[in-house]
Amino acid sequence: MIVIFKLFGTKRLFILMIGLILFIAVMGFTLRRSGLTWPERFVNDAFGTAQGALYRPVGAVAGFFRDLGRLSDVYKENEELRRAYAKYTQDQIRYNEIASSNERYKQELGFKTRQEQLFTYKYVISQVIASGSNPYDKTIKIDQGSHDGVKTGMAVVTVDGLVGLVSKVSEFTSTVMPITELDPTSPDTIQISATVSGKEQQVFGIVDYDKENGVMRMSKIDENANVAEGDIVVTSGNGGVLPKGLVIGKVLTNQVGDFGLTHTATIQPAAKFDHLYEVFVVMTPDPDQP
Amino acid sequence: MTKIRMNRAIVATLVLLLIQTSILPWLVPSAWSGRLLLHLPFVMTVFVALLGGRHRAFLFGLGFGLLEDMLFYGHMIGAYAFGMALIGYLIGHAFERKLSTLAFVLLLTGVGSGLLDMLVYLIYKLFSLTHLSASFVFYWQVLPTLLLHMLVALALYLPARRYLVRQVVSQSEGAEGN
Repeated sequence: MIVIFKLFGTKRLFILMIGLILFIAVMGFTLRRSGLTWPERFVNDAFGTAQGALYRPVGAVAGFFRDLGRLSDVYKENEELRRAYAKYTQDQIRYNEIASSNERYKQELGFKTRQEQLFTYKYVISQVIASGSNPYDKTIKIDQGSHDGVKTGMAVVTVDGLVGLVSKVSEFTSTVMPITELDPTSPDTIQISATVSGKEQQVFGIVDYDKENGVMRMSKIDENANVAEGDIVVTSGNGGVLPKGLVIGKVLTNQVGDFGLTHTATIQPAAKFDHLYEVFVVMTPDPDQP
Repeated sequence: MTKIRMNRAIVATLVLLLIQTSILPWLVPSAWSGRLLLHLPFVMTVFVALLGGRHRAFLFGLGFGLLEDMLFYGHMIGAYAFGMALIGYLIGHAFERKLSTLAFVLLLTGVGSGLLDMLVYLIYKLFSLTHLSASFVFYWQVLPTLLLHMLVALALYLPARRYLVRQVVSQSEGAEGN
């Protein structure tokens, strides 16, 4: 101890202690806050412009080279896409029929306007402009902000599946926290309630991310629920945080959970979380607004 | 007698920060994107500490750490501001204005980077925002990042020194610059 005192001097150690206390106070204060003050918004927007100008061209060049490397797969991919498209056309016809009859039932049952509009989501396209390099706060920035109607807690998806949630919003940019950061035991977590596509009535679980293994886990599944390998896990919309029907991933395994009463499934995330280029912000109709 | 040009250091670091956030993510392959997390402002803080002294390094690290924390505000603000300010100050305190060889600069960058990442890990652990074990974090993220930081320092040190340092022969000539 005396050595440390000699090395730094009492005054310096005192200042160090004050600094430490100050920083812990700042960290604690910013821990569960969702809004931003104006200097933070200003810095975010000012940097966002420059970042956007860099990220997009570089991404385009990188994408070009990646595509060159994948040219050989294109033929096979095209074949598969054609098959998928044929199936899609058939499904589209069925969907139209079901959607129109569903509409009729809703009218006959006397749904309120609010209930009818509850599941009409708007997908707003948005460009990624930067990604952070803090390993415990891996956030990405997008070029849509409160000016464009983005609000805290909105879901962000790619064409593959759910990427994350909007965590902080400034005027022209916002920060997205990937679902890989939603630690179930951390103090500011959001739980994603999920179900399996096609078995929405019987399967229910809560999804979080296992950082060490790089897979997602869906826990608290009822032991009688029939979850098989390869099932598509989607958000259930219960809990009101996320819209329903967003793809989370594919079931890898399903086994008995920690306490033996429920099952826990591991899920391969559908979306990639790096090298993101274009994402969609899912805007839900605000139930409180007329 | 040498003097550091702080204006140039700040502008260069702003540019490096933009490169780090918008260009480097594309260059890191997918499999390594969670492991190689570069902090170019930190490398610059080490340079400032060695060339400009501890007080400058402290303010420099504090400012850029805070900027980075603010730009990518996920859970909380302040971890990198604290870590970079502290490590900039410590390196400046121990080694400022000594004749430093390139190998020594690389060593300092490596050790500093390791300390910074472990410090940030401990802060997140303290607020129970991460539950990874220290050995896993060290092997998975800190060690590869540390080696890459040393490579970056190797690439940047000589140009940075040429760009940032000005020779001052005496007080009267110092105003003219070169």
